[in-house]
Order: sequence, then C-alpha cells, then structure tokens
Amino acid sequence: MSRHQEFRSVQSTLDEHYYDDDDYEEEEEELSAEDQAAMRQGVADVKAALGVEASKVTTKQIEEALYYYYYDVEKTVHYLLTKFIAPAPPKAAKTTQKAKPPGKHISCLSSRGAPRHLPGTSSAATVMMPSPHESLRLYSPIAIPQFGTATPATAMTRSSISAIFDHMPWGNVPSHRLTVFVEPERPRGGLMGGSGAAPKLTRMQQLAAARKKKVADKKPSSSEDAVDTTRQGIQTLSVEDQPKEKENQILNVSGGFGKRQKLSATQAAGRMPLAELSREERQQDGSSSQHDAMPPSAEQDSTAPEPAPELAPPSAFAQTLFGVGAHEPAPVTTRQFALPYMAYCPSLTDAFSKPSPDDVVLTAQAKAGKKTDAAASSKKKNVGVDAVAHDVKALKVDDAPLPKSKNLNVLSEYEKSKSKKTASFVVVGHVDAGKSTMMGRLLLDLGVVDQRTVDKLRKEAEKIGKSSFALAWVLDQRTEERARGVTIDIATNRFETDSTIFTILDAPGHRDFIPNMIAGASQADFAILVIDAGVGAFESGLKGQTREHSLLIRSMGVARVIVAVNKLDTVDWSKERFDEITHQVTGFLTATGFQSKNVSFVPVSGLTGDNLVRRATDPAASWYQGPTLVDELESSEPTTRALNKPLRMSISEVFKTMPSPTTVSGRIDAGSLQVGDALLVQPSGEKAYVKSMLVDEEPADWAVAGQNAILHLSNIDPIHLRVGDIICDPTHPIQCLDSFTLKALAFDFLMPMPVDVHRGRIHAAGTIEAIPAILDKVTGSVTKKKPKIVKPASVARLVVKLSTKLPLEAGQRVVLRSGGETVAAGLLE
Amino acid sequence: MTDRRRVNGPVGATLPPVFLTEEVGGQAVDKPTRSRPAGQIRKLYLKNGVTPSASGSAFLEIESTSKPGVSGLKLSCTVHGPRSLPKSAPFSPHIILSAHVKYASFATKKRRGYIRDTTERDLSIHLETALRGAIIADRWPKSGVEIIVSIIEGDQDRETSAASGDEIWDTMNVLSGCVTVASAALADAGIDCVDTVAGGVSALVVGEDGSEAVVVDPVPSEHGRIAAACCVAYLPTREEVTNLWFKGNLDSSNGQWYTDLVQRGIQASLSANRVLVGSLTETARQTLATASS
Repeated sequence: MSRHQEFRSVQSTLDEHYYDDDDYEEEEEELSAEDQAAMRQGVADVKAALGVEASKVTTKQIEEALYYYYYDVEKTVHYLLTKFIAPAPPKAAKTTQKAKPPGKHISCLSSRGAPRHLPGTSSAATVMMPSPHESLRLYSPIAIPQFGTATPATAMTRSSISAIFDHMPWGNVPSHRLTVFVEPERPRGGLMGGSGAAPKLTRMQQLAAARKKKVADKKPSSSEDAVDTTRQGIQTLSVEDQPKEKENQILNVSGGFGKRQKLSATQAAGRMPLAELSREERQQDGSSSQHDAMPPSAEQDSTAPEPAPELAPPSAFAQTLFGVGAHEPAPVTTRQFALPYMAYCPSLTDAFSKPSPDDVVLTAQAKAGKKTDAAASSKKKNVGVDAVAHDVKALKVDDAPLPKSKNLNVLSEYEKSKSKKTASFVVVGHVDAGKSTMMGRLLLDLGVVDQRTVDKLRKEAEKIGKSSFALAWVLDQRTEERARGVTIDIATNRFETDSTIFTILDAPGHRDFIPNMIAGASQADFAILVIDAGVGAFESGLKGQTREHSLLIRSMGVARVIVAVNKLDTVDWSKERFDEITHQVTGFLTATGFQSKNVSFVPVSGLTGDNLVRRATDPAASWYQGPTLVDELESSEPTTRALNKPLRMSISEVFKTMPSPTTVSGRIDAGSLQVGDALLVQPSGEKAYVKSMLVDEEPADWAVAGQNAILHLSNIDPIHLRVGDIICDPTHPIQCLDSFTLKALAFDFLMPMPVDVHRGRIHAAGTIEAIPAILDKVTGSVTKKKPKIVKPASVARLVVKLSTKLPLEAGQRVVLRSGGETVAAGLLE
Repeated sequence: MTDRRRVNGPVGATLPPVFLTEEVGGQAVDKPTRSRPAGQIRKLYLKNGVTPSASGSAFLEIESTSKPGVSGLKLSCTVHGPRSLPKSAPFSPHIILSAHVKYASFATKKRRGYIRDTTERDLSIHLETALRGAIIADRWPKSGVEIIVSIIEGDQDRETSAASGDEIWDTMNVLSGCVTVASAALADAGIDCVDTVAGGVSALVVGEDGSEAVVVDPVPSEHGRIAAACCVAYLPTREEVTNLWFKGNLDSSNGQWYTDLVQRGIQASLSANRVLVGSLTETARQTLATASS
C-alpha cells in the first residue's frame, strides 16, 4: 500500500472505503520485496527494543503497528508499550495533591513578549491524540476491514462502539491523557489607539475600577488587627537583632512594607514582610523560619558560606578590554616631564652631510660603468646640498602667506624683460565726434577685430537703422549703449604695434557720463582728442565737451594730446577746414595748460579709416604727408612710471573666475607687485594675497606700474572688494581720509558748497568747507587769504570734507563737480 | 523590499554548518550540575570606566560554572548625561531616564537582529523601572540621561539553553546583570542616587527526582526544571525593591513560595551589591590616588 493511498483512506468518505476494500485486500497480499524486507528488519528491531516484554505482543501486532507507523521502530515500540504491554494504570489516586490547576501564569510586572508557555507544561499542553486505529475509527463507526485477517486488536474494536474510548478509563482519567487548554490571548482592554502605554479606560471600566478600589479599601480594615500584631512582632525582632540600624529607619521600612502588604496580608495572614525575612537571612538566624513548606535543612546550610567574596578574575575578554593589569591599580602617573630634545644627539646634525649608504652603493655601481661622470656628478650634488643647507640656515620663519612668493626683484626683472612698452590712452571728445567708430576702425585695421565680426555687427545695426554705428559697436557692447547710440561707460581694448602695447580707454562723450570719463582719464598716459570737423559740429563741440574734456584730462595729469580731426571726408578733406580747426584748438589747448610741443594734429576719417593705420587713398587728402594716427601713438614718449613708489592699484572690475572667486582687474598706478605678495585693500582694510596674475592676458609672476593686471586674490571675501577700491602695499598703506586740502583750478565760481568729489573710479559726496587762500597760477604763492568766492580760471586752496572715507593721498588728482558740471580739479596736498 | 541599508547575506540558500554534538557521537553528555551552594551567586567581575568617552560606564562579567574560565554573561553599560533636553522636548521638572538594552547580534546562540526586538524592549522597560527608584530625579530638572546596556555575551550556556528552550530564565539573569552594571555606570557618571541598586535572581527549581528548592542565581542548564523565577532590583540601605519581575508556574494556593522567592532574590541582590560597592570603592580610590599624586 502506498503512502498516498493511505492518505486517501483517511480522507475519503465512508462509501469509498467500501469500494476500496477489495483493493486493500489485494494490496495487503502483495507487499513489495522492499517492504517485506523492511518489515522483517522492523520486527527484529522492535523485538530487540522490547526485550523481555516482546513476549507480551504477537508478531502480527508488531507488524501491524510497524506498517502503520511506516516502519518507525521508535513509535511502534511506544505504541506497543502503551497499548499492549503496560496499559495506563489508574493512578489518579496517587496525585491528589498535585491536582492543582496548572497553566496559571504569574507575572508581577509586565512580561510582554515573553512566551506564555512554560517548558514543563508544554508536553502536557498538546492535546492527547488517540492511537492511530482510534482515529480511523472515529471516521467510520463500522470497523474497516483494513488489515484483512482478524487480529486480536481489530477484533476487539469491531465488537462495539465503546471501543472508541478504549484505554480511556471512565472517570479517573490519567493525567497524561488530560488536555490542557491554553487560554487565548485576550485583546488588551481599553480604548483603541495610542502608544504602548497603559491603555486608556473607557468610562465603564473607570467606574468598575473605582468600585473595585472602594471594596478593596474596605476589606483590609477587617484584618487590620492581624497586620498590626505582626508588625509589632517584627519590630521587636529586628531591634534586638540589629543594634546597628536606627529605629526610625526600621519603622519607615516596615511601615512602607506594611502598606504595600495590606492586600497580600489578607491572603496570607501572619506572614512576615520581605525585608525582615531577608535581614534575618543575612544573620543566619535559624529560628526565623516560620515557613515550614521549605525544606529547612537545605536552605539553612546553603546560606552559611554566603559572605564569601563574589569577585571573579577578569576573563580574557575583559583583560583585553582593560589591559593586562586591569585588576591592579593603575600606575601613578609621574608629574615630571622631560625637556624636549634631551635625547637629541648633536652628532645627528651632520648625519646628512655625508652621502647616504645608498648613495655610496650607487656611486660605486656607477663607477664600475663610467667612472669619471659619476664622481663629478656626486661632487656637484654635494656642493648643491651644501649650498641648500647654507640657504636653509639663512632662512627665517615668518608668517608666510598661503601662495608662495618667488621673492623676485621685480624692478630688475622688469628691466631685464625688455618687453614692449606699454601705454594707455583715453579717447575723449564731444558727443558724436566719432570716438568709438574711430577706435572700432582702428582695431579692425590692426586686425584685432576681424571683418566677420564687423559684418555681423553691421547686419545687426542695420536692423535698427543705425548701420553707421557698426564700428562703434565693437567697443560699445552694452545693449543700452547700442540702443541709444552713445557710449556710457569706459570701454577698454588692447592692441599692439611693433614697439608698444596700447590700451584703449574709450570714454563717453555725453555730458551725463563725465564721471566715467574721469575714471578713464585717470588711467591714461595720454589722450586722443577727437574733433568733429563737420560744419557746426566743431563749434558746438568747442563749447561743449571738447572743452570740458580737455580741461579734465589736463587736470588729471595727462600732458600729451593727439588731436584727431575726424570726419574730414565729409568736408572733402578741405585743408582750410583742418588748418582752421588746428588754429583754434591749439589756442584753446595752450590756454588750458598743454604745451604746444605735446599737441599734434592728424586729419583722419574714422569711418573709412584714412590716416588711421594707412594713409588716405583719397587724392583730395594728398596734401597731408605727416604721420598717421598710429605713428603718432607710437612716437608718443612713454611717461615715466612711479616704479619705486609703494604699490597703488585701483580696481576697475571685480569678477569671478576659475582660479579664484575674487578676481580683480585694474591698472597699477604706482609700484610693483608679484605673485604671493600680501596686499591691503582700502577702504575695507582687508588683507589679501596674490594667488596668481595675468598681465596683458598672459600669466605672469609680476607686474609693474602702468600695466593692466588681473589679479587672482585669495584669503579675502568678495564683499570687501568694490570697484574703485585701492589695492596697496600693507607696509605703506594708503590712508582713508574724510577731509583733505587740495590745490584746485576753478572752472566755475567756487564758494563753500556741496560738491561731488571724483577720484578715478570712486566718487563721493562732500562739501567745500573752507577756502583758505587764492594762489598765484604760476608761482603758487598766496595772493589772497580767506576769499569768500573763487572766480573761474583761478587757483585756490580748498578744504573739502567728505561724507564717507575715501582712500586718498597727497599727489593724487581730484575732480570736483557740482550740478552735473566740473567746477574744479586739482592736486591733493 | 529587501533591506538595502546593510550588507545582507547571500541571495541563494546556504546550508548552515551542523556540528556533531556529543549525543550523536554516542557518548552521553554529562549534564552540568550546580556545584555552589543554593544561596551563593556566581562570581562577578565588575569594572568601571570601560568607555572613556561616556559620562559613566561599567563592564560586568558573570563567570559561567559549566565551563570554568569561559565567561557566561558579558555586559557593557554606558551612561550619557545628564544633559539638557532638546528644545522640542516639553518641560520636565525631573531627569528623564531612558534605558536601552541591546543584545549584540552575536550575543546569543541564535543570532539577534539589529532592530530591538520585544525581549530587548521588555528588558529596557524593566531596567528603567529599576533605576528610576534609585535616581534622585529632582536634582536634574530639564535634563535627560541615557543608559545604554550592550549585551556582548548573553547566553548562560551556549550549548544547552537554546536547545532546552529556557531562554526566558536567561533573560532574567540578564536583567539582573543589567541593573547591577547600570547602577555602577550611573555612579561612575556621578548622577545622584539614593543608593546603589543591584539585581538578583532566585528560582524555584525542580530536580530530576521531583524535589523542589529555591536557589539564587540559577543557571537553567544546571537544574532539572525551573518552575518559577523572580528577578529583584533592591536598594540595600533603604531596603526597598525598585523592580520585581516574577514569572513561572506556581501553586497559587501555597503563597509561601512567592515570599521565599522574593526573599532569596533580595539575598542575591545583596551579594551582587557587595561586588558593586567594592568596584565603586576601588574606582574612587584610584581616582583619588591619581588626583593627589
């Protein structure tokens, strides 16, 4: 019979059993060879296991049981033992005392998550299953002719229905057949929700609890007397035995316990409080054993050796944790400290003066190959080492900045470099004189800007109907500049000729943007004054910004002026017109203070580019054979630079770049600097270091006055850097002043009044506080003290007070403006 | 979703190594028997200052009797605090005690998880109750103290306890150790306490022959069966029990056993307390010695 049929026989209905009977019979006859072998082996095993008892069962019974348990010898033996050999004796009488209700679990405090089952009770907890035969019989009241031949067991069961309860005595059920019902876990009471804290009680539960408490409070009063008597007894006991302990303490303790014990005292009256018992235990007082349930001998004996020290030696783990001598007191730390370098051996100083063992070996190896070379090189190396050692000794430690300085002598480097001369010039002139267009043309002709760019700009300019502005847009790059067709801020560009690098500062001509023009002029070595040769335009310019600009550039210290007479193509290159302009402008410029040798005139056409870089192709312009504009620029004497003065550099731009988030650009007015130098930024007074720098868009190690440098600074926050700030040498810082005296040339009437003070890029509001004197124009001697008013074109000494502090120092050129007009310009004293 | 935060085991099924026990080998294993008297606890090793970075710390070992030299229980406790409560916490007129008990994943024969399971949370609550009675909480308003007990080795006897299913009794022993070591660490941290609190365990054991006896500090594998056990946290000078955990299957009609168990638990706690006081004295002596020299 196969397993699955066996399974089916249990599961199937009664009818099927009937129909299957024949099959069973047949299959029973034909046990397979393996099964028969297993059966034989099993019978032998079972008999061996039963030993003497084997005689009490027949082989048939064994076989049947084996068959049923599928040759499981152990189970078969157990089954046979319980069923035939030693049927359960009626032993209920023996265990009267033990018939306590088991399965009662006690946990005084919460024991959530702890298994409810006790190991001892677990076996009894499983419901006692009837023997396999019985289980089958439960399904079929009529005996199933499963095993064919009538065995004694099956014959017996077949006889009556009471056989179902075979081996189940009526009454006096043996304890091992009793089932234990495990109480299912009840849902905790109270309202739903909340955390794992004590459950909230419903209104009903609260009422019930209150009632319960009331009852509980009433109860103890009945047994109050009993408790009191015990308490008194305890007190007498303890006082006698424990003279050390203070009485009030005991009272407290027993009182406390007494309260807590009220409930338990009712259940177990006359029992001692726990603390008292424990104390007695400590004293090894044998007489205190009121509890007779304990086996007294075992307990009292065991407590006797109790005060032995419970200290254990540390385990290997603990020893590792605390170190080897963990159980010993830590060694007392010494308070004496050895002086540093006490163990330093002076002979170590020359340890590296000799070649190292490796060097010796390498030299020897090299000698084997090429003798002379190696020796020479090692000697040379040693010399080098000595020199370095000497240098190291000479070094002194100072608070070196982060970027390393090469400590170059910048001035000698500059002399050695023999680089091209650098010069910057400002292009000034009346509005719409064609300054930007002329410079755009110049850049185009010099190849700085390619034709494609200009074509593109021209296309864009045509779109808004200003095709003639295309060249000007090379420099005027802002959208509003292009829309309005005027230059607003200084535009810088760079070009170089064979001998000189020029920086163009294209200044705005419009009167509204004079402050920007001043900023540009302050950076320039010389100026190009552009004059519109057109009829009427020249005249209006001479009254307008041509005049103001020339005054300003003169007062900003620009000595050389190249006058570009522009737009001569509109007057057919008329020589008369050129001469007339030359005449008028020369007179005007000399009056302003320019020396005539420093003023030169070039007739040009900015739009076509005639006489800018190349000579004019127009035959009408053939009368001019003088130098072109570029020739004039190159011939301009470079001004002497204040190289030896302390560093001054005005910031014209602050921006972010990859090398440094704080990059500034500007022109170095005086002095020199190099990579790694510490710098001071005024007026913020913050220190910074030069991380690296670009001069003329090339990485450089140093820069000198006159050069336009881009500095990558470090160790400074960008908020301390503003356009117009002065970068200076921290050892010779520029002072921040809010009041200064200047010798000024008045362009307008001056009196104590509010003015705008312009100095390079920076400007601030201020007032003329006092006019101490009017000075002689030529000699500078005082002609009049404390005038009320200063007339135009006279020189006066002024005291100006500023609203904010500005970095200013003597020798700087300052422009005073008021109401949109330049009123004075002068030198700081 | 699978647990992505940790390095998990291999995806495929693996066969755990099965070691032959003595039973399979044919020799009958000799069951360890209790060698010490019923009223004596096992030897302890207690040391303060195991974690220098914590405010207070202690390390406790209980030697296991089944294999001499091999320590059965190893606990490490760190106390952080008292420190101010976070701004978000509501005002508290007394110190807020938070106890965390965590088995190391390798502490028991059956590996423990990383997240605290119910047993560990249960132990934490018991420990917190036990310590709350000892700390003078009013001294530290608006502050909190964290007590973290790491159970480095938790099995009493790695060979038998898991097999016989009596981890619950081990848990009691662990709790008593936790109380003792936490008290030492609290004292090390300098947190004001009314007394040192120490834990003690007693059990009603049923021998092979059916004889019943109450013993202190039971090792489950040494006894035939443990019918009930009781873990007590006790303040000796004040004679107060701060925490009592009673568990087991006792005849409710005979209340004698309850009293007896508690009493024996107190006795065990007193013994542990002696070690605790000794360790603290030693620590204090060393501190004074280093301070004076």
